[in-house]
Amino acid sequence: MTIFTFALKRSFSNKTNLLFLTLFPIACIFFPKGEEWPFLPYGYQYFGIIILFIGIRLATIILEDRAKGLVKRLAVAPISHFQYLSQNLLAYSIILIVQCVLVVYGGVLFGQELYQPGWLLLLYISFSFSSLAMALAWISIYRNKDVSFLMYMAIIFIVVMLGGIIIPVEIFPDLLKRLAVIFPTYWLGQGINWVAFGEEILDFLLINGVLWLYTVVFMIIGSIRKIQ
Amino acid sequence: MRILSTVKFTALRMIRNYIVLILLLVVPIILITFFSFILSGYVTDVGIPYINENAMTMVVVFQLFGGSIVMYLIHHDLFAENKMRMYVIPFNQTMYAFSIMLCGAIYSIFLGILLMVYSQFVLSVIWENWIWMTYIISLVAILSIIVCLIFMLSVKNYKIAERLSELYGVGFVVLAGLFFPMPNHAIFEFLGSYGNPVTLAMGAIRDMSISNTSSAWFQANILLVVIIFLFIVMLMVGRRKMG
Repeated sequence: MTIFTFALKRSFSNKTNLLFLTLFPIACIFFPKGEEWPFLPYGYQYFGIIILFIGIRLATIILEDRAKGLVKRLAVAPISHFQYLSQNLLAYSIILIVQCVLVVYGGVLFGQELYQPGWLLLLYISFSFSSLAMALAWISIYRNKDVSFLMYMAIIFIVVMLGGIIIPVEIFPDLLKRLAVIFPTYWLGQGINWVAFGEEILDFLLINGVLWLYTVVFMIIGSIRKIQ
Repeated sequence: MRILSTVKFTALRMIRNYIVLILLLVVPIILITFFSFILSGYVTDVGIPYINENAMTMVVVFQLFGGSIVMYLIHHDLFAENKMRMYVIPFNQTMYAFSIMLCGAIYSIFLGILLMVYSQFVLSVIWENWIWMTYIISLVAILSIIVCLIFMLSVKNYKIAERLSELYGVGFVVLAGLFFPMPNHAIFEFLGSYGNPVTLAMGAIRDMSISNTSSAWFQANILLVVIIFLFIVMLMVGRRKMG
């Protein structure tokens, strides 16, 4: 588990990363409550955006490795690509899970109305994994980390908007309402709605299942080894 | 006069930077189009379509990010890789920096006007006063360029300056209450009204469109005063860094 420990250390060593990893999620807890929409406080509605940004920030470390030629050195080291990737991802997912726990239970302690904190936590964790997988797939087509980050930022704007995180899906025109279904953010939004109103547990499992499907698909795309 | 011959190349370098084009032109075009689909048919209390307000917000907000390319070019040419080369060329480096700033401002304003043209002809948004609108977005563009340069000149690590410039853009958008209402507090109220370039610019445009001229000029002049003040600050910080 050497790679795992170093991946953890590296993700915290960068100052900007530290800001993204701790300050922004904590700030989420203190945002006010919306009037009619969103159903959860704003911080919890927008936490998905932060998860997307954290995903790309963490995955960029792997891109850095590739750019520095570290993957080449690992290829001759007595360690498999699977070990390298899985331990890195394990470290990132632990960071993401800790944040989700922090945000959800911090909110409970702070006294935010979260309806079903346990299910909300599960939803955030599922979404964190899809975000990580998406970022992993995204960086596999780039060589430069700044370019990949800026382009991903543009994609995040659009995905978040079209997925109905910032504007409720209900007021979309029909065509956009149908299109929204293909974005992972749509399912996050649906999950948040379920946490506020839902009763049928099967619906919630379906939502999580879709998120996990995204995770698997993007993870397969992103995990192909590339030696430049 | 030697500076003038470099302007062409500065402009070329700006236009060839496709990431800036995507972030400052393609993304807002997609967003405006998308919003116009959603908001078509909705009108405000006074009967103005929501899409007008929204297109105006987009044009102003994306001017806030226009400073990054100027920051990048000046850092690259005068403080990093090209530093030695630029200092052996027999021209005035300060004037060169100003020429980059000017190019950046014109480029940013040009992108803003493109957005306005697009929204008028494709989405039939009505712009009341083109000249006033151009004046206001040029104020916001120049302000963002100066702020970015101050960040770049006062922070040692360029990466941090980049993040700060992003924070400046996103922070003022959030403080303007465009994402969610800010809490009721004197500081937030100030930062959501007269302490915020986004709301000042939007207020100035809005007031001009209902021909409330004095209030519009007042808000625009606040921006102008801030620009002059920060320009002096920028000169002072820059002198220290260059010297």
